[in-house]
Amino acid sequence: MDLARRSDVTPPATSSPDAARDPAPARKRRRSRAGLAFIAPFGALFALVFIVPILYAAFLSLFQERLLGGTTFVGFANYGKLFRDPQFWDGVGRVFRFTLVQVPIMLLFAMALALALDSRRVHGIRFFRATIFLPYAVPAIVSTLMWGFLLGVKYGLFGSLNHALGTDLDPFAPGNTLISIGLMVTWAFTGFNMLIFYSALKAVPRELYEAAAIDGANEFQIIRAIKLPALRGSLVVTIIFSIIGTFQMFNEPQILPTMVANSGVTTYYTPNLYAYNLAFTGSQQGYAAALALVMAAITIAVAYAVQIRGLRNASDQ
Amino acid sequence: MHPTSSPRAAGGKAGRLYTVDNPKKSATVTVMTALFAFYCLLPLAWLVINATKSQADFVSTFGLAPGRKFALWDNIVEVFRYQDGIFSRWLVNTLLYVVVGATVSTFLAALGGYALAKLDFRGKRVFLFVVLGSISVPGIALAIPQFLLFARLGLTNTPWAILLPSFINPFGLYLMWVFTAEAVPSGLLEAAKIDGAGELRTFLRIALPLLAPASVTVLLFSFVSIWNNYFLPLIMLKDPAWYPLTVGINQWNKLGSTAGNGALVQNLVITSALLTIIPLIIAFLGLQRYWQSGLSLGAVKG
Amino acid sequence: MRLSRKVRLLCAALVPMFGLAACSGGANGGGDAGGGDEQVKITVWSWDGTVEKAVPGFQAANPNIKVEVVNAGSSQDEYKALDNAIQAGSGVPDLVMFEYFAVPYFAIPGKLADLGEFGADKLKDDYVPAAWGDVTVNGKVYALPSDYGPSAMFYNAATLKKAGVDKPPATWDEYYEAAKKVHALGGDHYIAQDTGDIFFLLSLIWQAGGRPFKVDGNKVHIDFTDEGTTKAVAFWQKMLDEGLVNTKVTGWSDDWNRTLNDGSLATQTMGGWLTSTLPERAPKAAGDFRVALMPQWEQGDKVGAENGGSSFGIPAAAPHKEAAFKFLEYFTHGAGLQTRVDAGAFVPNKSVLDSEAFRNKAVDYFGGQKVGAVLAEASEIVGSGWQYPPFFEWARSIYGDIASPYYTSGKVSLAQILEQWKQRCIQYGNEQGFQVD
Repeated sequence: MDLARRSDVTPPATSSPDAARDPAPARKRRRSRAGLAFIAPFGALFALVFIVPILYAAFLSLFQERLLGGTTFVGFANYGKLFRDPQFWDGVGRVFRFTLVQVPIMLLFAMALALALDSRRVHGIRFFRATIFLPYAVPAIVSTLMWGFLLGVKYGLFGSLNHALGTDLDPFAPGNTLISIGLMVTWAFTGFNMLIFYSALKAVPRELYEAAAIDGANEFQIIRAIKLPALRGSLVVTIIFSIIGTFQMFNEPQILPTMVANSGVTTYYTPNLYAYNLAFTGSQQGYAAALALVMAAITIAVAYAVQIRGLRNASDQ
Repeated sequence: MHPTSSPRAAGGKAGRLYTVDNPKKSATVTVMTALFAFYCLLPLAWLVINATKSQADFVSTFGLAPGRKFALWDNIVEVFRYQDGIFSRWLVNTLLYVVVGATVSTFLAALGGYALAKLDFRGKRVFLFVVLGSISVPGIALAIPQFLLFARLGLTNTPWAILLPSFINPFGLYLMWVFTAEAVPSGLLEAAKIDGAGELRTFLRIALPLLAPASVTVLLFSFVSIWNNYFLPLIMLKDPAWYPLTVGINQWNKLGSTAGNGALVQNLVITSALLTIIPLIIAFLGLQRYWQSGLSLGAVKG
Repeated sequence: MRLSRKVRLLCAALVPMFGLAACSGGANGGGDAGGGDEQVKITVWSWDGTVEKAVPGFQAANPNIKVEVVNAGSSQDEYKALDNAIQAGSGVPDLVMFEYFAVPYFAIPGKLADLGEFGADKLKDDYVPAAWGDVTVNGKVYALPSDYGPSAMFYNAATLKKAGVDKPPATWDEYYEAAKKVHALGGDHYIAQDTGDIFFLLSLIWQAGGRPFKVDGNKVHIDFTDEGTTKAVAFWQKMLDEGLVNTKVTGWSDDWNRTLNDGSLATQTMGGWLTSTLPERAPKAAGDFRVALMPQWEQGDKVGAENGGSSFGIPAAAPHKEAAFKFLEYFTHGAGLQTRVDAGAFVPNKSVLDSEAFRNKAVDYFGGQKVGAVLAEASEIVGSGWQYPPFFEWARSIYGDIASPYYTSGKVSLAQILEQWKQRCIQYGNEQGFQVD
């Protein structure tokens, strides 16, 4: 389908985008130097802020600190311990389950909203665009306060709802807490993803729609033939960034226990929370570093798998 | 070449066909969007309502009901007066971090994204892999190594401890790369170079203007993420005079929500939270124009 | 070529850090100053707002010492920041606030200065004995108490009266009977709230004479089966089993404020410091609350316990130890003490607790009750000999993981929870280089 090909605005995720082909060799060398110079400021700061601390963390992960007796080299013992640590795997399992459910729901909403706004069939586009993005701008501490009230069963809105309906649901019963967290995370990040989709849609030349309209295509056909393919690239990006985000879930389970009792949130509820508690209350910096690196490897593997799939689907088209 | 700015009447068959730029509004779609907007606004309504309550009313009235006394102005005045008016200092700090951080990070991302998309250099793939891989490392676990490194460099407890990390926006780099690949025609760059422009000049004069809409996107995301940055400043800063708003507000909140005899100032926490969101709304609405004004991407493609 | 330069760059940055990690703690001997005429600036980490109030007076009396008070976070946040600063060898403050249970954590590995060097021993007699015990580790003083948390029972007299309880329960047996009457009021009325608060449970054990932790040098002994512990745990188990305790509302949450406010929580057994914050949490209950000693295990007994409280110590790596001690002494004993008391601090100094001004002050919020007299007595009767293990900060953080399933499902028992907790502590403590059994 020719339309789809032309409107595929986002390049595949890993391979380098279609830079101009075949410049003269001498120019190529000059550009190579220029390329390095352009990337250098980002690269240097990146090394300072990420690479060096990561290497340092990798170094720390080979040690065990003790309150008494100082730091001892233990080789890969921290990693061995981690693979046998049921608390770690409990957290990993939880973020996997969470990701599998929450990310698709959130992205579907985000995409539907972006399509709705882009179709211009909605009244008050500017209002909605701002409103839906707004939660992203609310600091986590404040948003947890707000949701704590909305979902509270005793003094909160949910309690009033229960009262009115004669039900006895508790959003923060241990079995339900993850769903409530999903509600908060979806609230906070749908707008962000919507904007990504929306700007990808904005990049589609509108002549395409006009041409399609003249050919007699209806809205749904246009969505299927032009808009969805145009979103494919951004979809891969948003999935990857959402996976990274949910795998690093921290704020909500960190703040919840201060508001709600026994919601089932443990100190190892998510791997990131576990790493924090190990490093901050347990003085187990080396173990926490090992955990972080293993978690990063898992995240990269999953993100990479998504990317490969995204690419394969792209070339199937 | 500017399809979005020239609304054109579409062909005659009104009804089933629509004009591309001004289709018939759909009540169904509007209502569905409005439902989601309601979900987004409900918690914020709580915030606004409770910012109008005194501390005493806050603990004793229903969350979505107004207090006995309208205390919004009192609360705002108190926010700016509490602890010798440190809130204004936090506000200024946050603005500093946000303005400098977002501007520099957007520029660096544009520079890097341009290099990735339009220039060749060795190790490009490795570079991308390392960047994307690094952001998969949970930030919490990096905080302590980062702290130790920065302490070594004498940067802790200075604004640099917040600014330097905020200059790096991997997601921005990614967006810029994607946008540059699409929005900046290589032919245009070649032409500029044949005319004798150097690489930097070509970037600044030709590419950067074309990237304006993308830059606004990245700027906005950087803006928000630096504005909401909490964990890093918490680790890096010990002097409240350098705190950003997030850390300051959280500290006020903790006064009353951890065991001890700290002051309970939830009304100030909520009011100050509301005050911090307002600049973000303004920034967003202010930049809206750029979203609106048809991305030049489309122009180039068409 | 590009790569090798990068590698070299990284090495240059990393080598000093590796070296640092290898010799952490050794850095920064710190020359003392603060004596002579030399101008000295000391940094104080505190989340107790009253300390700052003592600064102007101190600086006026000691023009060569400038004091900067910084809120470096509360509790855990601050301890980690201190650990980080010590490890980095820079930014170590001169004076740091510690909850009592955190003193051994820093003292035993040698991160705190022995205050005996500065003559702190002389101050012993001004403190109620238990408070002095809190800052003494293996026979040496590592901190000076700055505020105190004698456990007391705050009760809503109006709610109790409505339930037909005319005087506050003096023993735990009476408390149990009162609990049933309060619960009979219906709805969400409870005599107490507990969602797995380890400090509350330990204060019950403490009062009953249990001493589950025994610390001697590097050796830690944990036992939750001694007589006092068993008695306290069995009692609270009975309260929980019979549904007499609100297990839905957690302390310090917004919901908790509201239960205090609307009178549905009849008593709160907590540290004396609740006095200063209760009025703002429960403004509607003004005049209803009173304070009493903790209910006793036997009629006629007078034994108390602690729940919270904190102290200030000087890190071994602090740059200006002598000046820091000067200020410490000023706000815990000198003219600064009264300034802090006036600002609402509750301190374990006998000079304050025994003063007429403190004992005879009628407090409106508590219906004109002379709250000071009750709390002074509660301080003096705190049972002595209690010890916290040096890894208590960690231990309390994981207690919730173990206790939470019980509070939601009612399966297992408190005794089993404590046993499980003990096993985790033993494992962790031994990993950390202690000898725990």
